[in-house]
Amino acid sequence: MPTFVYMASCDGCGECVDICPSDIMHIDPTYRRAYNIEPNFCWECYACVKACPQNAIDVRGYADFAPLGHSVRVLREPDKGLISWKIKFRDGREKNFESPIRTTPWGSIKSPSAYEMPGPDAFKTQELAHEPEALNIEKLPALTPISLNQGVV
Amino acid sequence: MFTSNPFADLTVFLPPFAMQAFIVLMIIAVAIGTVLDMLHKSSAKFFALHVAKSNAAATRYLSGAETATLAVKTVAIEVAAAGEFCNPQRRISHLLMFYGFLFYLITTVAMIFGYPTHAMPTPVVLPVLWNIGVIMILIGGYWFFFLLRVNVVHDGQPVFRLVLADLFIVTLLGSVTFALIWEFVQTSGNLAATKITFGLYVFFTTLLFGSVRWSKFAHMFFKPVVAFQRRVDEARGVSSLPAPATRNNRS
Repeated sequence: MPTFVYMASCDGCGECVDICPSDIMHIDPTYRRAYNIEPNFCWECYACVKACPQNAIDVRGYADFAPLGHSVRVLREPDKGLISWKIKFRDGREKNFESPIRTTPWGSIKSPSAYEMPGPDAFKTQELAHEPEALNIEKLPALTPISLNQGVV
Repeated sequence: MFTSNPFADLTVFLPPFAMQAFIVLMIIAVAIGTVLDMLHKSSAKFFALHVAKSNAAATRYLSGAETATLAVKTVAIEVAAAGEFCNPQRRISHLLMFYGFLFYLITTVAMIFGYPTHAMPTPVVLPVLWNIGVIMILIGGYWFFFLLRVNVVHDGQPVFRLVLADLFIVTLLGSVTFALIWEFVQTSGNLAATKITFGLYVFFTTLLFGSVRWSKFAHMFFKPVVAFQRRVDEARGVSSLPAPATRNNRS
């Protein structure tokens, strides 16, 4: 089930835009509020749902069963290190969960905009921007030409 | 320059009645624009439906005193302190523009209707507050425009790529920027330059108040109502959010 934004609750802070691994959370040009530009491409990782400081992002099913009354609502409490989920089924049942958010303090990871923009030389490498330093490793594991030849007849 | 009524000096080439009529037209334009905006977005209908659903789902009802307390909290936190912003820089910028706009608007109306000519001496506090308001809007507005707009900072769009959401901030900045330039030019005594800069001031001001149907201007009316309803929903047990966690994972 992809995510969507309650525009009346969103304050346009951009946290979801930064965190979306699929780059589908963007800013609406008419109202300057976040929206999911391509629900079909949503990985359903719910990173934006958890990151939203206004609890403005919800989850909904696709059009065939969306109007039937289910919902997934999330309350993040970084000071407690917990995130609570309220799952409402379309038959009226409700389930509540609490799960730990993460092992590092909230806000301790740099946002993408805090990194320097890669230079033109970055296009010549196979690595993504700021790899491997941003992954806290010296070198990414990679196949060498010799290892590729092994086992080839 | 900062202590004299800039509108009283306009009588050199404009009768006082003209600016008073302009203010009335702008008030009418804002009222019509807000109504058209509500009709276009169906926001009033959506809000009425939400209130009806909220009433039906309420687990408890609020007394008049509780409702009044929530209204006071909404005014004190969401309106007066821009409490909904989680980014402190955006909050400060918004507060500068909010209070600057109030000073600017109230003193403009007071000077145009109360002291339209130099025949009635304008209290110094009015033009001083008008200038303070203009400067507060300029600081908060340009800070927001260049460094805080979410589509620029987080979505990577160029600063000068303007979209419909920029209509309000651009016309507001245009209005107050040319207000300050016009005031300065008028003090220097150059009539032709005064007419040009005053014309640009009137142009951007008309655009600001005449474009409510398409701009974010009406948010100053909607937002407090939505914030109040959210508080009422929470107090009546209607919030769709989960209850706060009972344990602490950090301790």
